[in-house]
Amino acid sequence: MDAYTQEKIQRFEEFVDLRLKPDLVHAIAERDKVFDQQKTFSDLKRNIENLEKNSVTSLRTLVNLGSEVYAQADVPDTRHIFVDVGLGFHVQFTWSEALSYISVREEKLARQMEEYTRLIASIKAQIKMVCEGIRELLQIPAE
Amino acid sequence: MAKAEKKGTVTSLASLFPPDEARKASQRVLDTLVEHERELHQLNQFVSDNNNVIDLVQRLPEQLHHDIMVPFGKAAFFPGRIIHTNEFKVLLGENYYVDRTSKQTTEILKRRGNTLQSQVDSIKAVMQDLKAEASFFDATASEAAEGLVEIREDYIEEASSETVSHADMKTADEDEEYARLFSRMDELEKEELEAENGDECESEDGDVKDLGNQVSLDNRVKNLEVLFNFLEQDLSYQLNERSTSFMCSHEASKVQPASKVLPRTSGPHNTHTAMSKPSISDKEQRIQLQTTPTNEAFTGSIVEHTHNTDSNLRGQSNSSKKTVSRFKMQRMQH
Repeated sequence: MDAYTQEKIQRFEEFVDLRLKPDLVHAIAERDKVFDQQKTFSDLKRNIENLEKNSVTSLRTLVNLGSEVYAQADVPDTRHIFVDVGLGFHVQFTWSEALSYISVREEKLARQMEEYTRLIASIKAQIKMVCEGIRELLQIPAE
Repeated sequence: MAKAEKKGTVTSLASLFPPDEARKASQRVLDTLVEHERELHQLNQFVSDNNNVIDLVQRLPEQLHHDIMVPFGKAAFFPGRIIHTNEFKVLLGENYYVDRTSKQTTEILKRRGNTLQSQVDSIKAVMQDLKAEASFFDATASEAAEGLVEIREDYIEEASSETVSHADMKTADEDEEYARLFSRMDELEKEELEAENGDECESEDGDVKDLGNQVSLDNRVKNLEVLFNFLEQDLSYQLNERSTSFMCSHEASKVQPASKVLPRTSGPHNTHTAMSKPSISDKEQRIQLQTTPTNEAFTGSIVEHTHNTDSNLRGQSNSSKKTVSRFKMQRMQH
């Protein structure tokens, strides 16, 4: 095997290890984040629906103060809820408004999710392709 | 040459610990160090969080209720208030919660803080160890890169019990030499006592016997002189032998004469080190060896002969520069 081929193989391997694999890890982490958000909003939706069903107007709950220490908290009026809309903004909604917002938000999150899934698949395909290229350069027969 | 190879080996430190490998090892240690640093950072964060909670728990009972935003899931909250400000539920672990007052909660949190602190201390100790390790690896790497060599020689009992070391001999070696000196002195004293009892003695006891009637302090001085002469001859004899062997082994291993030498003693090996290649040729030394009356150290005529041999040796040792022990240098100055 000549030096040129060897150098080429090394560059391919470097491309896989230093570029594609970190990209893949990053994409997967991003998708997990989106997944977490999706879960948060579906939980919130369920909770609000529960409140609606039971027509709860006042609530007593526990607040986490940190280090798993909880204090009792009282909510006198549950009909208005503040929902995080991103970038540190919270909007005061009624229950129905909150539900419609959440459904829109969920749709968007699902789209993002799909996008990331496609990205991950394409990175994986690229890794596979470069590996095949290396295999061809080494003249190892395909499995 | 063959004899020299049998006597000892010269290994360059670079062949034992390649500088690249040593550097890699140090890099690995540094990596773990970074990991520990991250852990320490996290622990410190826990400690500060814990302190904040302690502060909060202590302050809460000051008022009957606090207006807060009550979180409702991660993404939403209601406006509300904290009530029963002196009642807390504290997680004990395994999903067991316990109702505590503010004071009791503070105590629990303080105990947790102590545990965290001990963890921080232990991680700091580990980091200190790792730092020392890393610096050791770095030192080894740089030493190997400089072309340091290790000279190792098997300990041969019948040759002599003396070790010859070169000018930068360690104080520990010096102590050893003194210990040997004094044991030798004791031996001579014993022989002297025997001489006083009228026993016939050979070798250097003849000298001792002559002095037998004198004051014991005088005897001691004389004995010391004899002893020094003996040691000197012994040392110089070894010096000759060693320096030739050095030269051979140096040439054999093609080490640069300027390379430093790391003194290392292990087990039955007797290590001695040399700074530079002796300038005397092999033949010359052989001749001088023959002329050096080593055996006469044990005869009564030792005192007269030592001056000759001494000057002889002195000239030789001057020509061979650094191959004189510190002990002998001191002796020469007197």
